[in-house]
Amino acid sequence: MRGTSIAALITFVVLVVFVLILPSGCKQQWQAAFLNTVSPIFHATSALTQGIGGVSGGFKKLDELEKENRELRTENAELRTSNSLLKNLQSEVNRLNRALGYRERSPFNLLPAHVISRENAAWWNSCTIDRGSADGVAIDMAVVTEAGLVGKIVNVSKNAAIVLLVSDEGLKVSVSIEGTQEQGIISGTRASSNYVPDLRIGFISKTADVKPGMKVFTSGTGGVFPSGVLVGTVKGFAIKELEGVATVEPAVDLTRVEDVFVITGTR
Amino acid sequence: MIRFSLLLALLVFLASIVQRYIPPIIWLKESAILLAPALLFYGCLTLPFPAVLGLTFFTGLTNDLLTVPFAQESNYSIGTSIVLLLIPALIMHGFSSTFLRGRWGTNLLLAELAAVLTPFLLLGQYAIISFERRAFFYNDVIMWRILGPGVIAIVISPCVFLVLAYLSDLLRYEPQLDRPRQG
Repeated sequence: MRGTSIAALITFVVLVVFVLILPSGCKQQWQAAFLNTVSPIFHATSALTQGIGGVSGGFKKLDELEKENRELRTENAELRTSNSLLKNLQSEVNRLNRALGYRERSPFNLLPAHVISRENAAWWNSCTIDRGSADGVAIDMAVVTEAGLVGKIVNVSKNAAIVLLVSDEGLKVSVSIEGTQEQGIISGTRASSNYVPDLRIGFISKTADVKPGMKVFTSGTGGVFPSGVLVGTVKGFAIKELEGVATVEPAVDLTRVEDVFVITGTR
Repeated sequence: MIRFSLLLALLVFLASIVQRYIPPIIWLKESAILLAPALLFYGCLTLPFPAVLGLTFFTGLTNDLLTVPFAQESNYSIGTSIVLLLIPALIMHGFSSTFLRGRWGTNLLLAELAAVLTPFLLLGQYAIISFERRAFFYNDVIMWRILGPGVIAIVISPCVFLVLAYLSDLLRYEPQLDRPRQG
């Protein structure tokens, strides 16, 4: 082995050991700084993705117009098309109204945010939002939508923040089950599908009367998540050797969620 | 050599970001499409040893900073992927002389070897997480999460190798074998 190779190997080992033994807080700062650097790319890509969606939407409309031109001979087809467009508009208005209504009704101070990047890793479920420390976002703040719990902030840069989703195995949330006195800890499962993730509540009493369809809410224990936020609906309940375990379907479609709220405090 | 190394580092960085926006393959149990490993492994076959170490360090660190939602209580430390990637990187570097002397058939086989080594990082991550969380379980979803990117890389790696060979020619980079010192 040549001298340069030996020197490179020694430098490599020193650097790797240095990175590995850095304190957690320091690594978190590194990631925040890195996020700060790449967040303009995420913002641009997110805008571009939406732009592409808009352009393809434009093509679709042209397509539809061409089709509609052919079908204009029959009034019936025109009405159907108009009706469909109105329905789309209405659903968009409804969606925005729900979000606005939720924000106004909510007892929390909610900061609206947009998902700019979704993590595609095998073992971690997270996403990046377009709000950061400049907007008052801080680590451990809960992230919700009008439908329920999304996750919590695990790292923040100036203009972006990483949200660990409730479907991640590493996120533990204290919850209670509607209509029972049962409390437990909910978390994601490593082997669950990203598209239909299952959550799992452990440490439930074996004699608990937990039935499919029951709602699961945050209990507020631990202080990170406020109590009363919907997490999901019970799908099944199984009795294991030492505990009862419930599987829960998340209330929020975590693969499609685009607009979220960060809970920055209570009113 | 420096220009080509920097180009590879830039491509690894861009690939790591692009990967985030590529949806997983649903019919392969949501296997992810990974581009960065193929770029790294091409670098391992064509760059000298010090540059291989540098590229491995950069790829591993970028991967961790971009993919691991690092919290105080994380059980996967940032930087671990550098160590995990070093093993397949060194295996690929071991074949550099074969690659540089080889014909297209040999190079195609080495591109497929790169595909076979692609799941190594995911396997290592899974083993570490399982150990740290004290929960080692296995099912077909996990199997596809690990092996799926390798299956996809069987198609992707030769294409990446072809593009990089073209870029290498464009930059007039001529890879040379690491020769032992004459005694």
